[in-house]
Amino acid sequence: MTATTERETATAGAPAPAPAIEAVSVSRWYGNVVAVNDVSFALGPGITGLLGPNGAGKSTLLHMLAGFLAPSAGSVRMFGETIWKNEALYRRIGLVPEREAIYPFLTGYEFVLLSARLHKLPDPEAAAARAIRIVDMGSAQDRAAAGYSKGMKQRIKIAAAIVHDPEVLLLDEPFNGADPRQRLHMMDMLREMAAAGRTIVFSSHILEEVERLAENVLVVVSGRLAASGDFRQIRKLMTDRPHTFTIRSSDDRRLASALVSDTAVFGVELGSDRLTVRAADFAAFAHAVAKVARGAGVSLFEVLPTDESLESVFSYLVKR
Amino acid sequence: MNRAIVELTARQLLGQRRSLLLVVFALIPVGIALLYRFEGQQPNHVQWTANVLGARLIVGTLLPIAAVIFGTAALGSEFEDGTAVYLLSKPLSRSRVVLSKLLVAWLATGALVLASVLVAGAIAIRDIPDQGVLLGFAVAVAAGSLAYCSVFVLLSILTSRALITGLIYVFIWEGLMTALFSGTKVLSIRQYTIGVAKWLTTTSERTFAARLDGPEALALMVVMSILATWLAVRALARWEIGESG
Amino acid sequence: MSQRDEPAGSIYDLGYRRYDGPRLGRRHAMLSLYLFSLRGAFGLGRRTSSKIIPIAIAIIAATPAVIQLGVGAIVSSEHLHVIRPENYFNFIQIAVALFCAAVAPEVMGRDQRTRTLPLYFSRALLRSDYVLGKLAALWTALLFLTFVPQALLFLGNGMASSNSTGYWRDNWMDFPRIVASGALVAALFASLSLLVAAQTARRAYATVSVIALFVISSVISEVISGTAGGVWGQAAVLLTPFEVVRATILWVFQSNAESGSALAQADLPGYVFFAMLCAATAIAAWLVVRRYERIAV
Repeated sequence: MTATTERETATAGAPAPAPAIEAVSVSRWYGNVVAVNDVSFALGPGITGLLGPNGAGKSTLLHMLAGFLAPSAGSVRMFGETIWKNEALYRRIGLVPEREAIYPFLTGYEFVLLSARLHKLPDPEAAAARAIRIVDMGSAQDRAAAGYSKGMKQRIKIAAAIVHDPEVLLLDEPFNGADPRQRLHMMDMLREMAAAGRTIVFSSHILEEVERLAENVLVVVSGRLAASGDFRQIRKLMTDRPHTFTIRSSDDRRLASALVSDTAVFGVELGSDRLTVRAADFAAFAHAVAKVARGAGVSLFEVLPTDESLESVFSYLVKR
Repeated sequence: MNRAIVELTARQLLGQRRSLLLVVFALIPVGIALLYRFEGQQPNHVQWTANVLGARLIVGTLLPIAAVIFGTAALGSEFEDGTAVYLLSKPLSRSRVVLSKLLVAWLATGALVLASVLVAGAIAIRDIPDQGVLLGFAVAVAAGSLAYCSVFVLLSILTSRALITGLIYVFIWEGLMTALFSGTKVLSIRQYTIGVAKWLTTTSERTFAARLDGPEALALMVVMSILATWLAVRALARWEIGESG
Repeated sequence: MSQRDEPAGSIYDLGYRRYDGPRLGRRHAMLSLYLFSLRGAFGLGRRTSSKIIPIAIAIIAATPAVIQLGVGAIVSSEHLHVIRPENYFNFIQIAVALFCAAVAPEVMGRDQRTRTLPLYFSRALLRSDYVLGKLAALWTALLFLTFVPQALLFLGNGMASSNSTGYWRDNWMDFPRIVASGALVAALFASLSLLVAAQTARRAYATVSVIALFVISSVISEVISGTAGGVWGQAAVLLTPFEVVRATILWVFQSNAESGSALAQADLPGYVFFAMLCAATAIAAWLVVRRYERIAV
């Protein structure tokens, strides 16, 4: 990812009176073990990635959002209503569970149709056909689910979850078992849904997925919410750790000596064909580098923030 | 009730190997009735049919085993396989889910046991007036299936070891404890069923005896079924997804 | 997720080392498997819900002994022998069958369900070692039902007696018989229930099949011997493991079947049942070994 890439932002608009998903001081413990510890956030339309290492409490949190676990303290609300023991809310929610279990004796189409019928949709056959088209499973829809590959099961589960066109879609580790092509297709599909104003939350422990898909992240570490918001914003907030940029220019050596004197710069390292610069403030350096380069008469070819990846944000948060 | 769940559960229960096993179990009373017909030594056919075939083989063995298998599988296999979330993440009241599952478990158990008791009974009792034994057992078995299934559906929500827990209830509590301590009969579905069967026959106490009076047995059966179903709905509303699910 | 333009690769030394120490080998692997499976039979080392059922059934199997000892302590009668050792099995046969139904699928099918079987088979352990280890584990677990309560009862009766020395002198022969009958019964139940459990990875099927083999067969046998006479009634006792076990225990204690019982009706010499029990145990064990040698993992 480059700093110049424009990220597609789904929606802006004024925040609705009741956010699609709201967690207020949510905790969940099992006996003496605290799985989720005093977590609060509010989510609106767009894609949110729930990120954390295995065992961090992602699944527990997602299950609480889905109404399949009661918070031990605090509350989880959807559109202003408590989700726990509130079946009517499922009209507006789709859930893709992590386990790949599907009724082995049903065909893919029957499975999606079952979901449509359980939602009491007026035309379940049409809804099922539409959902299967979206996930591109038409060619395998009449085969028994027992013979599906992991990726196919994942897609048919998504079809079943979106058959009623929900406003909120919750996905637990949705990309597990999908091959790269299916993964891209699923990402496109989720982006489209987000662009249409849906609220999508997915959990993952794979940074790349979250980075590529989510404009918004919730980072969960040891049951606590370590960070939330746009991950580039989060990164900027953490100014106590230097940002690293790699720069390619017409004259690296000259640029290096010019940059060393700049107050925003911590250190400069000259490589064979590039310059590595560490700076305290992301925004200040971005401004400064252009000015310095022009002053020194050097042309900038490329400025890359090297550790702007979610991975560095994440490892930073975990270490803290 | 929900038709989609009913159809799904019917395919779930009947499409499996365990239903084949149960058909074999249901044929056992028929085989024994044939043996009795040709090799039997008891002269009183009504007595044998009521006590041995009805009370011992059907009500004491086939009925609870069929009920524990269908009753715990109807909803329990969904928890075990991790498919329960597909039913529960829908705008359906939990009572509909429980009632639909219970209905199928009951129909499957009832149909199997009823067929077994009627065929085996007709073979054993021959053509003499049967003093209402066949009708009595048919009705009792139909009602007893419901009581058993409602208890086992409840168990399947409460514990992942519902099958063995149900078997312990059937064989230790109903089989052993009720034989030793008469007071436990008020918590024994087997005794309710026999009580109802006896109520509908015109046999004498010497031919066929029950520990509970008919009305008492029926009332307990109704209370047990309603209570278990109500508790099952409550338990399902509070059901939480497991760590693996 | 490389952000550089050129490919870069490096191998880090994470400090992994080869294991060069001594390897404990096959016998130790078998012993470990045995102990692990034995603990697993009672749910030890697993969550609480796995412990409740096996331990509850074991307690049920010990209850007759406890009641007898309790009553003996209060009534303190020399001649109070509600339960003769050769009859103890009659009180606990259902508990033993339920224990097998609950535990055999844990001992045998669990590794298939959790897909750990290939891990065992890629170790020093032979496939037959695996089966024998499991068999020994279930056998030992069953001894807690078929032997331990009776041994306690025997010792308790002796200690409660006002003339302990006399009691031991008169009854000492009971002890080796309790050991022998307990071991034989446990062996038959262990190998038959593992044979059933080895046929399927699904716990529910295994549980129901074990119940069918022990409990339903005993009901059928009882009904047939009570219904039909002649050769049918005589042969009925051979239909169920319960009767074979009962007859073997009587043979071990050199005692006779109660008159009027199915066994008395069958009127076969005791050693026939003993031979049947041994043969059934051995054949079932062999079949389990054969199945596991052919099973694809």
